[in-house]
Amino acid sequence: MEKAKISTSQLFIVMILFQLSNSLLIPLAMRAGRDSWLAILIATAISIFLFFIYRALYLYYPSLLLTDYTEKLIGKVLGRTLAFLYILFFLYSAARVLREFGVMLLSFAFPETPLFVASALMILVVIYTIYKGIEVVARTGELLFVVMLMLAFFLFLLIAISGLIDISNLRPTLEDSPKILKTVFTETLYVPFGEIIVFTMIFPYLNQAKKLKKTAVAAISITGVALAFTTILNISVLGVPLIERSLFPLLTTIQSIEVGEFLERLDVIFILALIIGGFFKVAVYTYCALIGTASLFNIKEPSKLAYPLGITVLFTSMVIASNYSQHIEEGLNAFPIYVQLPFQIILPVFLLFIAFIKNRKK
Amino acid sequence: MSRKWIIPFFMAACLPFLSGCWSSIELKELAIVSAYALDKKEDGTYVGTFQLINPMNVPGALQGGASGQNPSIATYTATGDNPLEVADRASTIVSRDLYFAHTSLLVISEELAREEGLSSILDAMERGIEFRTTTKIVISRDVKAGEFVQVLTAIDQVPAEKAIKSLEFTEELYGENIATNLQKFINAAVSTGKEPLVSGFSVEGDIEKAKTMEQLQSSDGSATIKVNGMGVFKEGKLVNWIDGEKSEGTLWVLDQIRQAPVNIDWENHEDAISYKVVRQKTNVATKIKDGKPAISVHIRAEGDLRVIEVPVDITNPHVLFRIEGALQQKIQAEAKAAIEVAQKTKTDIFGFGEKLHHSEPKVWQQFEKEWQDVYFPALDVDVTVEAFIRRTGMRNNPYLFDLNKKSE
Amino acid sequence: MSYRKLRKKMHYKEQIPDSASDTQKSIDTSITENLNFIKQKTGNSPDIIIRTLAISHDPKVSAAIIHVDGLVDNPTINEFLVQTMEDSVQEKLQDEDLFTVFTEKVVAVGSLETVSDWDTLFQSLLSGDTVILLDGKNEALIASTRGGERRPVEQSDSEITLRGSKEGFTESINTNTALVRRIIKNPNLWVESMNLGKQTNTDLSIMYINGIVDENIVKEVRQRLGRVDLDAILDSGYIEQVIEDESSGLFPTVTHTERPDAVAGNLLEGRVAIFVNGTPHVLIVPAIMIQFFQTPEDYYVRFPISTLIRMLRVFMFLISLIGPAFYVAVTTFHQEMIPTDLLVIIASQTESVPFPAIVEALIMEVTFEILREAGLRMPNKISATISIVGALVIGQGVIQAGIVSPAMVIVVATTAIASLATPNYDIAISARLLRFAFMLGAAIAGFYGIILGLIMLIVHLVSLRSFGIPYMAPFAPLIPKSLKDSIMRGPIWSFNERPKSLNPQNRVRQGTDQKPLPPIKRGMMRAETKEGDKNES
Repeated sequence: MEKAKISTSQLFIVMILFQLSNSLLIPLAMRAGRDSWLAILIATAISIFLFFIYRALYLYYPSLLLTDYTEKLIGKVLGRTLAFLYILFFLYSAARVLREFGVMLLSFAFPETPLFVASALMILVVIYTIYKGIEVVARTGELLFVVMLMLAFFLFLLIAISGLIDISNLRPTLEDSPKILKTVFTETLYVPFGEIIVFTMIFPYLNQAKKLKKTAVAAISITGVALAFTTILNISVLGVPLIERSLFPLLTTIQSIEVGEFLERLDVIFILALIIGGFFKVAVYTYCALIGTASLFNIKEPSKLAYPLGITVLFTSMVIASNYSQHIEEGLNAFPIYVQLPFQIILPVFLLFIAFIKNRKK
Repeated sequence: MSRKWIIPFFMAACLPFLSGCWSSIELKELAIVSAYALDKKEDGTYVGTFQLINPMNVPGALQGGASGQNPSIATYTATGDNPLEVADRASTIVSRDLYFAHTSLLVISEELAREEGLSSILDAMERGIEFRTTTKIVISRDVKAGEFVQVLTAIDQVPAEKAIKSLEFTEELYGENIATNLQKFINAAVSTGKEPLVSGFSVEGDIEKAKTMEQLQSSDGSATIKVNGMGVFKEGKLVNWIDGEKSEGTLWVLDQIRQAPVNIDWENHEDAISYKVVRQKTNVATKIKDGKPAISVHIRAEGDLRVIEVPVDITNPHVLFRIEGALQQKIQAEAKAAIEVAQKTKTDIFGFGEKLHHSEPKVWQQFEKEWQDVYFPALDVDVTVEAFIRRTGMRNNPYLFDLNKKSE
Repeated sequence: MSYRKLRKKMHYKEQIPDSASDTQKSIDTSITENLNFIKQKTGNSPDIIIRTLAISHDPKVSAAIIHVDGLVDNPTINEFLVQTMEDSVQEKLQDEDLFTVFTEKVVAVGSLETVSDWDTLFQSLLSGDTVILLDGKNEALIASTRGGERRPVEQSDSEITLRGSKEGFTESINTNTALVRRIIKNPNLWVESMNLGKQTNTDLSIMYINGIVDENIVKEVRQRLGRVDLDAILDSGYIEQVIEDESSGLFPTVTHTERPDAVAGNLLEGRVAIFVNGTPHVLIVPAIMIQFFQTPEDYYVRFPISTLIRMLRVFMFLISLIGPAFYVAVTTFHQEMIPTDLLVIIASQTESVPFPAIVEALIMEVTFEILREAGLRMPNKISATISIVGALVIGQGVIQAGIVSPAMVIVVATTAIASLATPNYDIAISARLLRFAFMLGAAIAGFYGIILGLIMLIVHLVSLRSFGIPYMAPFAPLIPKSLKDSIMRGPIWSFNERPKSLNPQNRVRQGTDQKPLPPIKRGMMRAETKEGDKNES
């Protein structure tokens, strides 16, 4: 762990930015069709319960990282193995996000650029950031958040005055309720909401532990509402069939804007949101892997790890899938069930159970 | 080497890889395509005609340039098996990269639209990253699409702009057509409960002359581009044209009228009173009657009187009520006629099916498959109209009214 | 700095022979001996004026008045030293101690001290004091006679305001501290002085308001100044460069001003000012980023206006940072984002330009930098010629020759003006440097390059600190209460607390009810007129 501390408002912003980042841009919960926004809201509600599991663990060990207290809970060998697996999980998630980001960027803005170069440039900035530590990550988040907020406001204003919103695209609601729940539990709950598991690596830095509950619940709910709102906006502008066909609904929405003769072709907003989001998520994931590795292997200067871990993420992102369809397929089917479900829900619940038993004995 | 130099070093090491600047392209290496026209040859291959903007010749763009003496556009033609192959072939002729991000008009020939349909063409357009979904689609009627984009226009230097402007103008002022872009077309084509409409364009006059600078040097021009009707699509193929009053009726039902004129007869005088709509709202309500869907369309129009060619005392509210009544009948008739035509061609251009889906999702499932062919043609549509005269222009009674008084 | 380096440095320091060691010899009792020593030390420099006179005939006791020509206030010496000394020449030496006689009766100047070592003596002598040596005494009297020709207090050239004080600092440290004291008449305004520079022995003062400033900042300033071991300090810029936080030097973490009102305002917020003799530029620490977009005048005009102007300045800064980069990115990567009509115009202009956009931009930017540098160093008469050459020959010629497109010239010119509109030269010059980096980024990867560059810049900025204060405060970390005096400028009556980021001891700035309370409006009040009232209608 570093010595640094972050404030509640910083945690709040980091959580929101982290969760929004790429989920804003990709079709979220689209299996639920025009009710996807409902699926998102339900997933938000459930993820608040998830947060309480993580918080309970944190309350048992308020000064320890997730990768530290696994050792205390389930013994040295098992605990350290599990901690190591978590680090791998963070690295792999970072690589996935990086891959997704790279493909998105290239597929609509830089078609001829090799993926490796785009990812390498991004990872350079990430390395530089995490090298400086959590405090800098949090403060960078604060500034980027303002940028995102202004973009969102501007965008909504433009969409609203360009008269693109057609609420009838949202009807009928609740056409297929079981599908909604299925989407929630196979997809939406894990990305982006379950991803707050990484914050078990950041909670110990909080300077006002008492305010954690309020802050995190607010952050999760706001994220959920923001995502649901974006989805509603996309559906009402584009209609479900078009969203289902497009890789990036928000981009298509932005491209539909035509206000006056001049305010059109605003793709730069999307590029900005994409890069900021991608950067931030990769940075937070890699940072958590870094700080976990440092404490697991007792490394004195954690910042030294920034280069090797960053480069690991870069190469992992290159080899995880041969094409984007395979990547998305894994992301929708295999990854949530076989990786995210155990790491985000089952293992934490298990750990909490053990912590509960251990502490009751005392 | 100290650690803080690693990042700069790493970046410097990356530079050789970056020398390519893959995606960068200078402006002068681009050929800006303003319109893309597609025809079909007898052997089934596509013929693409590209209207390129020649920036050097666009007046006002460059001080002291060669503007005004040469056409501000150039057209190139190429053939291929699919629209993208056509574009690739054309690139080799033009010696620049064809750049589609600024293409505002996609022209499809009537023949191609009728026989081949638009599905495969539009997929290529939608998939390509350059094409924007806000590109407008039109059908060239009675003229080859390629020739249509070759016609020069006098006031608008770029003919594609002229086409779009006249499209938007007639949509706004006459309510006789509709500007459909890629996105709207595809959305309607995909939906089971709605079929798309696309405006038609034709060229009047001597096309050959219109391709040369002669067209611009005379004040009346040899040929003009004109909006001409709306094409009705079914399953991606053009099936029918809607013209004149029927198209107006269609737009009434579609809630797309903005400023349409409505002319009514008055006491044996044909088209004696002209009314201009300024505000319009159409509500479509669906209900299920005896297991069968029924649609009721309610049109509400507000507007001003524009032309009165007969002596009427419009200061008398009762007379105004009578005029309003006549207007209502006229609009109702137009709308009904349009609906009948659509039912005859078995194409739900109004999106009644979609409306039904929104309000009665459960019932819709049983109609969905055969909606266009079975249920829509047999649909019971009830049209009610409310028309209000809000103002009568700058004068009260027409001077004809006073003339009449004099003669009495 | 790593420990190893530090040790190496200390080792190095030990080896330096102390140049002052031969002056350690203390003052002799013989006046001739002493005078010879002084002459020898100063190499018989003619501007060291030594005047000997007898002050007692029996026994013959002589005294010497030594001063440096030009550094002293001549009337003071003549009237209050030489004159009085000559008047009080005694026939017979009395029992009283000569020193006491001198200090109490003879010398009539403001401050008088006794010194016994040569170091202090030379220090005072060279600062403009007058040394009085007496025969038979191994001590010297130092009379404060500093003066001489100095530049008068004038308006500052580099920080011009329409409203507010016209006074600017001068080169004299005493005048400068006095200018601030005139504004803040408060015993808590504390000054600490020191002497830095091995060869120049430059006077230096730090000033702060005790009770407002955070003690830790003062301690930090003292500590950083304490380790300064420079040969010469010719300007406050020397001090700035050895005490600032950022080693790469791209962004200023110390601000400087020529205006006493700016110093006073900053002291009142809890900052520390560092005065250096010989320069009108006073350093102020700690400095945060947003300060470089503020001017004293912002506080003198009404708040909505200064808020807008501050926003404009930040916007200007952004333009000067990424203006040309944006143009390069848009025209070579993202042509789809330009409205069609505009694209046609730009395309027609670049049609005959032989270079890629980035080369075009670099040519114009470098040309502009050359012009600016040439204009800056030249006397006024010549710089007019430079503007003509710049505007006509390069500006118009380059377009007519078709080497650079007019659009590019517009972009570069806008950028140049934007960079000049940034009120602080230090921050404008950082943008000037970074602009080239951003242009390269844009040429390599378009908006991706620019945005990554901006993120990197943000990361760098938030990691900076100035004397312990986060550089990007109050934005990151966010301090909501301080936001009203950042990019915004709230009304004066709402500034009830000092900036929290500076951690001042005394947070309360003013009464909480400073909002103006004009008499109740006439407009929409119900009239309660009494009979006989003569209300205006």
